Parts: sequence; structure tokens; C-alpha cells
Amino acid sequence: MIELREVSKTVTSGSEPLTILHPLSIQIPRGEFVAIVGPSGSGKSTLLGLIAGLDAPSSGSVLIDTVDITRLDEDTLARLRGEKIGFVFQFFHLIPSLTAYENIAVPMEIAGIADVRARANGLLEEVGLTGRAHHYPSQLSGGEQQRVALARALANNPPIVLADEPTGNLDSANGRHIMELLRNIHSRRGTTVVLVTHDAELAAMADARLLMRDGRVVENTLRHASARTADEVAVRRQRGDPSTPLGAGHVDPVLTSDPRS
Amino acid sequence: MKFVLSMAARETRSSWRRLLFFFICIAVGVAAIVTLRSVIQNVRDVLGGEARSLIAADVLVSTNREWPDAVRATIDRAVAAAGATAQTETLETPTMVRPVDEKKPVAKMVELRALQPNFPLYGTVTMTDGTPYSHAMLQNHGAIVRPELLTALGVKVGDQISIGQAPFTIRGTLKNEPGRRIGGFSLGPRVLIDYADLPSTGLLGFGSRADRRLHIRAPEDRLDTLVLSLRHDLRDEFLNIRSYRSTEDQIGRDFERAENYLSLVGLIIVILGGIAVSSVTRVFILQKMRSIAVLKCVGARSRQIIAVYILQVLSLGLAGSLLGTAIARGVIAAIPYFLSTSTSPSVLAEAHYGVTSSAAAQGIGIGVLVSLLFSIVPLLDVRFIKPSLLLRDENTRRRRDWLGYLVLVTVSAALVGLTAWQASSLKIGLVVCAGFTGLAFVLMLAGRLLVQVVAPLANSRSFPLRHAVLHLSRPGNQTRVILLAVGLGAFFIVGVRSLQASLLGEFSIQTAADSPDMFLLDIQRGQADGMRAFLSDPAHYAADAQLIPVLRARVVGVAGQETNLEGADAVRRSGMAIGREFTLTYRDHIEANERVIDGVFWKGPSPEPEVSVERQIAERARIHVGDTIRFDILGRIVSPRVTSIRDVEWRESRNGGFVFVFRPGALDQAPQTFVAPIKGPAGLDERARFQHDLVEKFPNVSVIDFREILETLRDVMSKVTLAITVVGGLVLFSGALILIGAVAMTKFQRVYEAAVFKTLGANTRTIARMLLFEYGVLGSLAGLIGSLGAVVLTWGVSRYALEIPWRVFVGEHVGGVVLTAALVAIIGVFSSLDVLRNKPLATLRAE
Repeated sequence: MIELREVSKTVTSGSEPLTILHPLSIQIPRGEFVAIVGPSGSGKSTLLGLIAGLDAPSSGSVLIDTVDITRLDEDTLARLRGEKIGFVFQFFHLIPSLTAYENIAVPMEIAGIADVRARANGLLEEVGLTGRAHHYPSQLSGGEQQRVALARALANNPPIVLADEPTGNLDSANGRHIMELLRNIHSRRGTTVVLVTHDAELAAMADARLLMRDGRVVENTLRHASARTADEVAVRRQRGDPSTPLGAGHVDPVLTSDPRS
Repeated sequence: MKFVLSMAARETRSSWRRLLFFFICIAVGVAAIVTLRSVIQNVRDVLGGEARSLIAADVLVSTNREWPDAVRATIDRAVAAAGATAQTETLETPTMVRPVDEKKPVAKMVELRALQPNFPLYGTVTMTDGTPYSHAMLQNHGAIVRPELLTALGVKVGDQISIGQAPFTIRGTLKNEPGRRIGGFSLGPRVLIDYADLPSTGLLGFGSRADRRLHIRAPEDRLDTLVLSLRHDLRDEFLNIRSYRSTEDQIGRDFERAENYLSLVGLIIVILGGIAVSSVTRVFILQKMRSIAVLKCVGARSRQIIAVYILQVLSLGLAGSLLGTAIARGVIAAIPYFLSTSTSPSVLAEAHYGVTSSAAAQGIGIGVLVSLLFSIVPLLDVRFIKPSLLLRDENTRRRRDWLGYLVLVTVSAALVGLTAWQASSLKIGLVVCAGFTGLAFVLMLAGRLLVQVVAPLANSRSFPLRHAVLHLSRPGNQTRVILLAVGLGAFFIVGVRSLQASLLGEFSIQTAADSPDMFLLDIQRGQADGMRAFLSDPAHYAADAQLIPVLRARVVGVAGQETNLEGADAVRRSGMAIGREFTLTYRDHIEANERVIDGVFWKGPSPEPEVSVERQIAERARIHVGDTIRFDILGRIVSPRVTSIRDVEWRESRNGGFVFVFRPGALDQAPQTFVAPIKGPAGLDERARFQHDLVEKFPNVSVIDFREILETLRDVMSKVTLAITVVGGLVLFSGALILIGAVAMTKFQRVYEAAVFKTLGANTRTIARMLLFEYGVLGSLAGLIGSLGAVVLTWGVSRYALEIPWRVFVGEHVGGVVLTAALVAIIGVFSSLDVLRNKPLATLRAE
């Protein structure tokens, strides 16, 4: 489970402090498919970065499976990311000097996992790029690059996948393909997926939705973690249907954005 | 670990082109170290580990006078007391030889060496054709000669040559013999004859310049006692007594010093390469920031990523070092071909050249170490790269980096250690590092100052010039590094070339129409009239000749206002530069190159002895007008009063420059010989014929041909100059590499800027001019810094090391600035061709 407690982020712009995320607390249950939506500059990517431990909050704490990652040093945090979090970026961020296969293999090599070759090839097959294993990123199309990035995110079979506008840099066909892959991953592996997007159509495919504006969550369709039982998760997974939005306009009781800010 | 290894291999595979400069910089420096060390070790090997063969004895006693009976008796007693098992005598003298065949009208000065049957006591005489040497080859007027004499005289083995008054048959050609002088200036090729045949040559007349040596073999445990007792008993005699041990120590020290100093030069080139490595690594990490952030994002820890790049640096350093060793091998293999063009035989020509394993090991070790030391500090920046960089660009504020400071201090200490190791002295290591830091600091300050000086050009009306100047102070520019590296290279080259011009100017002997170009030595008193007649004979092409009387003497005491020395030993120990033997003359006039600066120069002869002293010696020995100097002139003591001090312009002393000139009268009847500076015939054939005729009539007279000497000198100078220029060239080459590296590394920034400029309407020509101006200004500044530094260097070296007048060679300095500017501009523009070629849209999209 992902839990954010009173998390905020303030940066210095010029000499002035600028709050890009006002204090908020949310819980994302295991196996959830959540879409964070909102206009540009609303704090979506910042929130995702804080969940991934890519960035440190100015206040509050972020818990991944009860571990407060804000208290971890850089190296422990890196290890935790390697084990528990897969990240997909809008701009792919593949390492240009490595082939598609090598980009996928790197997280496994870092984690010291055995049988890297078979697993990397399996992932390439899963994203439909078997024949492109030895191509460099510059030799792949945008859609293919994003599929490699997705395979890399799944390399260590993480329980959480965070995707920051994964279709934002792709045409609609490729965008749909990536979304299908994400849905499959979520349904087949039971992976928690947190997706940042400003595309309402894509957001509609998620189980729940967080709507953000000016650094605040203004709408949260997430149910309280305890409200969803393990059985329900298992049934949903079995059904292969993650798309059961809880209804627009529903304001969740766990929405605890500080009204003072 | 698997991740580190495979990642390092992948990174090297993909970025080797970008890091090509990295290992070329290291390769150049390592090549310099390996070459210089190997050559010195090769030359040292020629001399052999067997120091006894260097002096061909355990103990060597030498003198340039005839052995006085008393001295020989003392030596014989000491030698017998020490239980010496063998001794042999040799004699060396420069003399003229000519073919007996009258059809060959040539003569050549040689270094004659007469040997007794049991020579050598140690080592072997080797012949060029490999036949074993035996003294029988020399007996009954046989001679063994160096091959170059055969060529010079147009003779072959079996032919006869005249040495002095006697004919000798050439029985073989000499390759090497023990006990010759090393590194001394050679007057001519070596000729070996039998000691027993010496008298027949008539060369040992009065005043002849012969070096007599007594080689002694004695038991090892008695050597020190023998040397000490000889030195004690013969302390007032003009003798040189040494054992093979002191020779070994001296030669060992000389070579070690030479090797260490040359290695330091190599190390400086490697350190320049290191500066390039540091700069390349810094920019490389900047370019790799996103990839590093990705690695951190997928779980890699900073230390794992640093390990990847360190492994990469080490492998590149090793590859560069191996390449450097291969280059050194090529350069060393070329040395024999280069030396084969030399006219003068030398110890250099006899060495077997090859890369020595110790030099290669040191070179590779240093290459890898310098790669590591210079890249570790920029690599530490990996720690500050945050994975959040992938979400948004931001400047993370650095906290105080104690680890960084610690590493910096460790690296500095390691560099001092490395330099100290190469120089074999902690003091030199510290001095060189401090000097390098100081020089770098001065160059940096000068660079900053000069950038400020050209800053007003940023308001120029010319668009390319304006932007070129602005680029010099842009953030992340390489101005300081380029100024430092190229400035240092220019400094070395211009400095060395100026010094070379200065030295050649000092040595050059003007062969103006009327100035003498030959020097006749050892004209006996009885030959003086005959010589005058010979020289004035129009058939011999010689103009009027002046015969100058010369006597050899030494100072054995000074009674003066400041200096008081009693006895030869006191003079020798005073360290006042008057302990050596002097050649003096007497005359009643001062020469054109002399000027009396104190006292009065005499007029006419006087039976009372008077002497005029040269200024520099007078100053060093603190001798003044009115003092009395005691001279030992072949056993006779003469005590003249100093009546004048003369300033002598030595460069102009073609009629012989003398430290001590006596008033005529007192020495007229003393044993003396004559020398004659003359203007020889112009043509080569006529000069050869003249020398031949002269030697035929006066066999004991030696002819020094200034033209030949000048040629030899030029040959030596050109080799020294070439060697220094090669080293300077390597430094400049390193500078150029740093420049290319810097340009290539900042290219990504330029490509983007050029794309923006192109979008805004600038054409390729404008951008090319902008680059040309930028690098032209940078090159001019680097050249100016180097040139100004070279002025200071030549002043210091001329004034304090070489003690020659300081002159500024404007051509060298201006040429240095212009060439450096042109070089930097050309390299800069050519390395940026991509910037000019790239289409703007593709570049802007990529951003």
C-alpha cells in the first residue's frame, strides 16, 4: 500500500518560495489502478515523483508498504525503487548507449537477479518487441521506446508501477497500445498502477481518479484501503476487468487536504 | 559486480569515440616517459655495468705532463705496497694524420691513443668486423682506426698513414675500446698505435698536449687505501687519481639524474594529459546526467555508478598507456636511422635501442594512475545527480562536500608522490608540483586578465566578433583549460627556440672575409721561423700570420689585498676558479677584443714580471691591481705583479683569448710553443691540400679547422635542439589534444546555439567567422601568454644557467603568437564542422 501523510512540496523560484504541492494525505490500496489527472502545473508529476522517492517532500512522509521512504538515504531508496517500483516516463528516458535488451536487463543486473537473459527476453516478448532486442533507442520509434521503457519498469516484477504521462509523447494508436499493456499488467500481475495523465479518456480506464488543481487534490474517487478487501481484489483480477470507476463527483472521506492551505 | 562490469563494458563500447581524446592524451604522455627512460637506460647499458672497463683499471692515475721521476717513484712505491698485480700505461694526444700516398692531399685531426701490450686490464677492444683484438696488430707501426677516418682520408685497411714523422699501416677498424672518455667533445676519430712506436712519431716534443694515464690493477680490499695514499702523497702534483668505484658512482649519479629529469619532462606531458582527462571526464559526466539519473531510478546506487565509470577510466587509461608504449617502441626503433646520418661518432650511436621493461612498467603505471587521479574528482559529481532530474530540470544546491575535499587532498598528495617518485626526490616532487601549480595559477590569472582586456570587443559592431568574445566568458566554457594547456605548450616551444637561437648566436664563429678560420697548435720554438716562411709563401694561400707564444702554467699562490693563498693545495681548495691549469702568453699590446678597466697596460718589455688579469677571473678570485700572483711554469716559479685588469670579449677572441697576459721580457726565454690563428684557403680541396702540406712539413703541428668544429658543433646543437623541440612539440600536441577535446566536448552546446542562430537568420559563413574569431582570440591569448612566459624563461636561463647575454628574438616570439593563434583557430573550426553542417530543425527537435 502507498500512503502519503501530510505531504507537501515547496521549491524556490528565483528568491521566492513556491508551493507546488499543498499538504495532502492519501492512501492507495494494493492492486489499485489510479489515474492522477489535472491540467499542466497542477502538481501531478511532483506527486508521482514523491511516491517514487525520486524527490523528497518539504514536509510529511511517504510510506510504501509501511516503510517511510522519506527517512531513507539515497542508496537505500535506490534499492527500494529497484525492488518495488517501476517507473515509466513521458520521454521514455532509455539509456541511449544501451540496446533495448540491455535497457531491460540493467535493473535486474543491479538487483543481482539470476537468469537475466530469459526474463529480459520474456519481457520483450510481452511488449511485442522480440525482434528489436538489439536495437538502440535511436533506432526505435517512440511507441517502441515506450514499450521498452515499460518492460524495463517491469524487470524486477515490482508491486508498483508509476507512469508519468506515458502516452503524452505518442500518437493515439501507440498511446492506446501502451494503455492496453498497462491494463494487462495490472490485471494479470495485480500490480498497483499509478498513472499521471491529462487525458480524460485514459483516466476513465482507471479504477479510481485523483483530480488535481494548483497543487491540491480537488477530487478523489479512491475508496479507503480498508474498504476493499483482499477477496474483492482477487475477484476483480480474476475477472480481468479493472475498469469500475467509482463515479465522478464522489468525494472520498479520506480526502484530507488541509483546508487551511 | 556483474552490473558494474557489464555496464562499464557497454559504456566503453558506446562512448569510446567521445573518450578517444582521453586515451590519446594519456598515450602521448606515456610515450614520452617510456621513450625518454628507455633511451637513457639503453645508453647506460652501452657503458656496461662493469665500471672497471670504463676506466680500464681498478685505479687510474692521469696527468697532462710528463711523469716526473719523483712522482713515478712515489706511485711505484704505493702501488707495490698495495700489492698491485698489473699496470699499464696509455697516452692520448690530438694530432694530425695524412695518407702516405702523395696523391691524396688530405689531413685530418685525430685522437691518437698509444697502448702498451697488456692493455686493457679490464674490458675488451672490439673491432667492427668482429675479429679479436691483440696487441700484435699494433706492433711494428700498425694502427687501428675508426671507420670514419678511412672515409675522411680516402684510405682502406692495409694502406699507410703518416702520424707525426712515422708511417703506420692500418690493420683494422675499431668499434669500441675500454677507458675512452664519455661524452667529451671529440676533436677527431680515434687511432690506436703501439706505445713503443710513439717516440718514432716525434709527437712528444715540448709542450705537446698529451694525456698520460697509468692503469693499475690491485686487490679489491686495498683500493681505497691506495687511492687515499696516492692522493695524500701527490697532493701538490697535477694529477688525477680515481678508482673505478668513484667513477661508477659518478656515472651512476649522472645517469640517474638525467633519467629522473627527463622522466619529469615526460610526467609534465602526462599531467597535461591528465588536465585534459579531467576536463573530458567533467563534460562526459555532464552529458551522461540523464543516463545516470535513469540508473538511479531503476535502483543503482551512486557508488555502483562511480565504480562503472572508474572501471571505464582505468581501462581507457590502460589502453592509452599500452598505445603510448607502442608509440614509444616505434619512436625508439627510428633512433638508429636518425643517428646514422650523424657525422660525429658518439656513445649514442653504439646503444641498442629498445623499450626497457622497467620503463614500460613505469609508463603504464603512471598512465593508469594519472587517468584515475584526474578523473576521480569530476566523477564524484555523480553523487549529486538526482533521479528527479528526469521529471524536471533543476539546479540542486550543493551542500558542503567533505568527501570531495578529502579526495582532492588525497589526489594532490598522490600527485606530489608520483612526481617525487619520478624525480626520485620528495623535494623535487614538491618543487615541481608547486611550480606547476604556480605556473598554472599565473597562466589562469593572465588568462582572466586577458579575457577582461578583450572584453570591450563584446561591444564591437561585428556580429561574429561580438559573439566570439562573449563566448570566451560563457558559463561552462573551456577558456581557462585551453589557455593553460596551449599557453604552456607555446611557452615551452617558444622558450626552447629562443634559447636555441641565443646559444647558436653565442657559438657562431663569424667566417668573415678576413677573420681567421684555422688554428695551428704546438709549433715548436725551432719551427717558428720555418712556419712563418711556410705561411707567407703565396703557394699556400695563407695571409700574414701572427705566431703567439704560449706557456702552460698554474697558480700556486696569491699575495694580495683580499686574497692570500700559499701553495698549490690552498689555491685548489679555495674554489676560486684559479685552481686549473692556464695557458698564458706575453705581448706588448692589447687585442681589439680587450679593454683595460683597471690599472695601466705596459709599453715595451721589462725584465720585471708583470701580468694583466682577465676581469671575470679577477672578480672571482678577488685579485686587484698591485697584488702578486705566483705561477708555476713547468717547475719554475714566477711571481708577477698585477698591473692591469682586462675585460675580454670572448666571443670575438679569434686571436686566442688569454686570462693571464705577461709583459714581454720575463718569459722570453722560458720553454714555450707557439699557436697561430690563420685564415685558411677558401675551397675545401685547397684547405685539405694546405693541411696536408703543413703536416707533411711540420708533422707535430696540429691544425684545428674552425669550419669543421663549427659543423660538429652545429650537428650536436641541432640534435639537442631537435630533442628539446620534440619534447616541446609533445607538450604543444597535448595542448592541441586538450583543445580538440574541449571543443568536441562543448560541441553539443554549440550545435544548439548555432541552430538557434541559424533559425534567427545567421548563415553558415557568419557562424564559421564567429568560431574563427573565438578560437583566433583564444589562440592569440594563449600564444601571448606562452610568449611572455618564454621571455622570462630565456632571461632566467641565459642570465643564471648559461651565463650568456640575454637577447630577445622578436621573430621567435611574434611567430609563436601568430602560429599558436592560427593553430588554435584551425583546430577549433575543424573540430566544429558538425556545428556548421547540422540542420537547425533536427537539432532543435532533439532538444
